[in-house]
Amino acid sequence: MSSLFDRENVDVAWCHGCGNLGILKLIKEILEELEVDKKTSVIVSGIGQAAKTPYYIDTNMFGVLHGRALPVATAIKLGNPNLCVVAEGGDGDMYGEGGNHFIHTIRRNVGIVHIVHNNMVYGLTKGQASPTSPKGFVTKVQVGGVVNEPFNPLAVALSLKAGFVSRVNIGDAKHAKEVLKSAFLHHGYALIDILQPCPTFNKTNTYHWFKENSYVLNDSYDSSDFVGALQKAFEFSPMPLGVIYQDKSNRDIFERSIRGVDAKPLHAMSHDVSKIQDLFNSL
Amino acid sequence: MTIDELKRYNGLNGARAYIAYKSIVYDVTESPLWKNGDHQGTHVAGVDLTSELSNAPHDNEVFEKFAVVGTLEGSEQVLASVQTPKMQEHQRDSYEPFKSKLRTWYKIYHPHPVAVHFPIALHLFSSGMDFLFLMRPKEAYDAGVFYSFFIATVMGFVAMVPGILSWWINYNFVMHRAFVIKLIVAIITLLLGVVAIAIYYENPHAVYEHSLKGILYHVIVLVTGLNVIVLGYFGGKITWGYGKYQTLQEDIKETVSLAKHQNTLSSHSNIQSISILIGGAAGTGIATLEKILSDAFKESGFYIFSTKEYMSRVRGGSNTTLLRISETPLDAPCWEVDISIALDVLALEHMQERWHKNTLVLADESFTEKKNNVVLVAMKESAKKFGSSKYANTYIAGVLFGLLKIEKNSLLQSIAEHFKEDEANKNVADFGYEEGAKLENLTLPNLPKADLEGVKKLHLMDGTTACGFGFLAGGCNMVTSYPMSPSTGVLNFMADMSKHLTIAVEQSEDEIASLHMVLGGWYSGARAMTTTSGGGFALMGEALSLSGMSETPAVIYLAQRPGPATGLPTRSEQGDLNMALYSGHGPFPRVILAPGSLRECIEYGYLAFELADKYQVPVIVLSDQYLADSISMIENVDFSSYEQRRYFVKSSENYVRYEDTETGISPRAIPGFGEGLICAVGDEHDERGQITEDYKMREKMVAKRARKSDALTLEAVAPEVVGEGDIAIIGWGSTRGVILESLQHLSNPRLAHVHFGWVHPLEPQQLKSLERFKYKVVVENNADGAFANQLKLHDIQIDKQILQSNGFNFFVDQLSVMIEKSVKELS
Ligand SMILES: Cc1ncc(C[n+]2csc(CCOP(=O)(O)OP(=O)(O)O)c2C)c(N)n1
Ligand code: SF4
Repeated sequence: MSSLFDRENVDVAWCHGCGNLGILKLIKEILEELEVDKKTSVIVSGIGQAAKTPYYIDTNMFGVLHGRALPVATAIKLGNPNLCVVAEGGDGDMYGEGGNHFIHTIRRNVGIVHIVHNNMVYGLTKGQASPTSPKGFVTKVQVGGVVNEPFNPLAVALSLKAGFVSRVNIGDAKHAKEVLKSAFLHHGYALIDILQPCPTFNKTNTYHWFKENSYVLNDSYDSSDFVGALQKAFEFSPMPLGVIYQDKSNRDIFERSIRGVDAKPLHAMSHDVSKIQDLFNSL
Repeated sequence: MTIDELKRYNGLNGARAYIAYKSIVYDVTESPLWKNGDHQGTHVAGVDLTSELSNAPHDNEVFEKFAVVGTLEGSEQVLASVQTPKMQEHQRDSYEPFKSKLRTWYKIYHPHPVAVHFPIALHLFSSGMDFLFLMRPKEAYDAGVFYSFFIATVMGFVAMVPGILSWWINYNFVMHRAFVIKLIVAIITLLLGVVAIAIYYENPHAVYEHSLKGILYHVIVLVTGLNVIVLGYFGGKITWGYGKYQTLQEDIKETVSLAKHQNTLSSHSNIQSISILIGGAAGTGIATLEKILSDAFKESGFYIFSTKEYMSRVRGGSNTTLLRISETPLDAPCWEVDISIALDVLALEHMQERWHKNTLVLADESFTEKKNNVVLVAMKESAKKFGSSKYANTYIAGVLFGLLKIEKNSLLQSIAEHFKEDEANKNVADFGYEEGAKLENLTLPNLPKADLEGVKKLHLMDGTTACGFGFLAGGCNMVTSYPMSPSTGVLNFMADMSKHLTIAVEQSEDEIASLHMVLGGWYSGARAMTTTSGGGFALMGEALSLSGMSETPAVIYLAQRPGPATGLPTRSEQGDLNMALYSGHGPFPRVILAPGSLRECIEYGYLAFELADKYQVPVIVLSDQYLADSISMIENVDFSSYEQRRYFVKSSENYVRYEDTETGISPRAIPGFGEGLICAVGDEHDERGQITEDYKMREKMVAKRARKSDALTLEAVAPEVVGEGDIAIIGWGSTRGVILESLQHLSNPRLAHVHFGWVHPLEPQQLKSLERFKYKVVVENNADGAFANQLKLHDIQIDKQILQSNGFNFFVDQLSVMIEKSVKELS
């Protein structure tokens, strides 16, 4: 099926059966359904297999360095709060190399959608453990299996009072779409951690494994209950899927706090020279 | 011909009038515009006008009609010219502040161009109608001619008013040909207009007759049509210049009027100055004392320079502030001091090294016993008498003024300003003043002559503030930084300015984020910068490289302190040049600017944003603790002359971000402005911004990025050369003032100062000018001689290096000795 957001003449660098293909399709569908204007949306991505996604979506993009999508996305939003800004990358990219930015972007509550393709492995560098790899996961580097405690993105995000925290499994595209859509509609920072099989390098966490080890939160779950959400974030086998927590209180968001509510893009502004002159003359 | 020889041809008392422009000497004696060597009150003969002409309404084409009589030796494009009293007089324009305001207003509304199109169009219309009328004398044509002519004449008068206003505020009533012609033609047009209207009024039918009046009417209508063409033509000349098509490149350079620095190496020995060193622990109020005294000395008409050295701690330790006052402008510290004020016992010890045999030391009676040069004062006692030990500083300020017999009102005024809430301070100072005046039999340094008029026009500020104003002039509207001494001052300054101007300021989580945010800012269309010091900059290498590959502009203010690692956090060094030059993986063009004076701080701060935007490269402004923290004086700056340009384009539907162009500069568009999509990338890419590993595309893109260097290098601001000797004392960045004063002290005619503010990329043609020197000595405040090594890479032979890396800046007295020694060893 063709989409408004198909980019022409691209050479997709993903393996057959990779979960990234499903995520790409999902994002394009949502952008189209939400009638996002491609001219005023930007996807910022780091480095990795997941981070290649924006190269295949016909919109503005800034492909930056490994782990660095968040600070770049933050400043883009600050420079022009009218843009729809997405930061996207893998689990190594966002939780490993970019871990510090992850923490502080949440603290700022920047109005961006943060999409993390979580395949629990380093794809592009061919199969090393990632921060979310399960204990015992054997790789060419972790020859005796991973010994470190896996990183828990949802719990970390919650502890920093992220306003929208969610997890989906790309194996269940219909549910994933629903959640991703609400992430786009959330006012403020929204995290969506997408469980994504990597058939080439992760033989443990497969489509089948993700299906067996997760369940969709039902309607009775109250996503506005912070303490309940914290509890859910620590559930592992099986993992809960859906919006774990959403703060609908319209908390202050970063770019509005700094720039004001109706801030014009900075490119359209220049300083009043006579003011600079007066400030100088007052010395 | 040398500059000194040129001075003799000043056109006065029968001498011929020569002027120099871009190294060529012209004879202007016969020109009516140069009577008695004075060019319409704006320029005088006998000098190199290169720098001044950067402001003139014309370029060198005006000299083409004059005879060339020689070339000027040792002149540089931006060579400091000799300042004559006449020129100083012109600079003292009491209307200047008012004019500056008007200029800003004028720039926004440009009333003359707005108004002038009506009379031009109507006069032409009227002439055209008149042609028709002359061919077929119909009533409709007749009426058309007259009505349009009437309105044209009235509007002509309306347009003249803002035109003359502009002539005054923007061109200082300069009697250049274009203005003179315009004025004469405009007046003639107006007068003719009145005559023609009068003829018509008297007898409308006259225009159908072959009478004298009838003929005159038609002649006037037709001639005024021609007149307005002439007016428009010269108006265009004034606005666009006579030259060929002017590139933006020249534009940037022109705005940066570095050449306006006026310096000579004339001997300094007969100039009076006093140096005062104040020592005390952090928290004893040295900073307040410094501020009170600087303002008071300034008010008394002295030129001031002050600098501090302090330990990396918030309380305790032993810090000093040096204050120098003089009768001429100062821009350097000295090691030995004339007066030394100890605010605690430790300071007394700490400062001892800096005393010469006549140094007068002021200390509290409890600190030490009476010695030769130590004058004991009742600092603590007197403060207590007024109710609090905190008054000790105001007391000692009073003593100092009393001692030096400086009129006390300026001190009292400054104290009143600082302690608005606590009036007692004034009484304390008054008391101290009387005590100081009573001290007798002291060998006091001679008091410098006050220059109330000269000093009043100057602004007192530190390098941090001046850099900040430069960045504002450059249109900076986003600052993302992680605090680190000594760069934090600029972060604070910009944050403070965000109360008055639109500047988005964010403290980042680390320096990695700082520079990435800067890149995000520019991508979205902001003018963003970060501030940092060595350790923080080390973390930015990766993002610097991303700036290079993605061709996203960036401005980095890097204030150096001694390394490696944490080094000496609050002290000074020029030790990070190599890091600035080489940080970031993979080759890509970059610019490094190292200001050496307040004026350069402003101009390079502005330039940083222009260059980054235009060439889409990272620009590093290299300062250091010494420059950032030193306070000196700067003449008024006209901020309306720093045009805030934007170089991004509106994208079309098939826009590609990395178009392969001749200059290597691809038009940069930003998201949401235009019809296209902007794909910026850190991987190697094709013109669209798609990742590629095609080796041909790689070669093409490498070449494209490298090509930007060519044009960029041509932007280089030439090194400033002062003096005519054959031994070059070369410095860069913050050493400018101290080298200059050292050479003035040495007054050895063989020495000349060469100052590089533009440090990278060096322009080979400009370096050629160094060939005229027999010996080259490079002075740097670092251990690795990084700049000398850069010169060597350009095949410049370096004969001696003067290096220092003890955490201090250079001091005039010490550097003079070092230079003298080096020079002796050379010759
Ligand atoms: C500073 C830096 N360190 C290391 C790398 C090498 N590198 C590229 S991608 C990657 C990890 C990729 O893992 P992830 O982010 O989970 O994405 P995936 O490829 O699995 O989608 C690494 C280590 C790099 N590009 N930059
Ligand atoms: S390596 Fe893994 S994550 Fe990368 S494309 Fe292949 S399957 Fe997908």
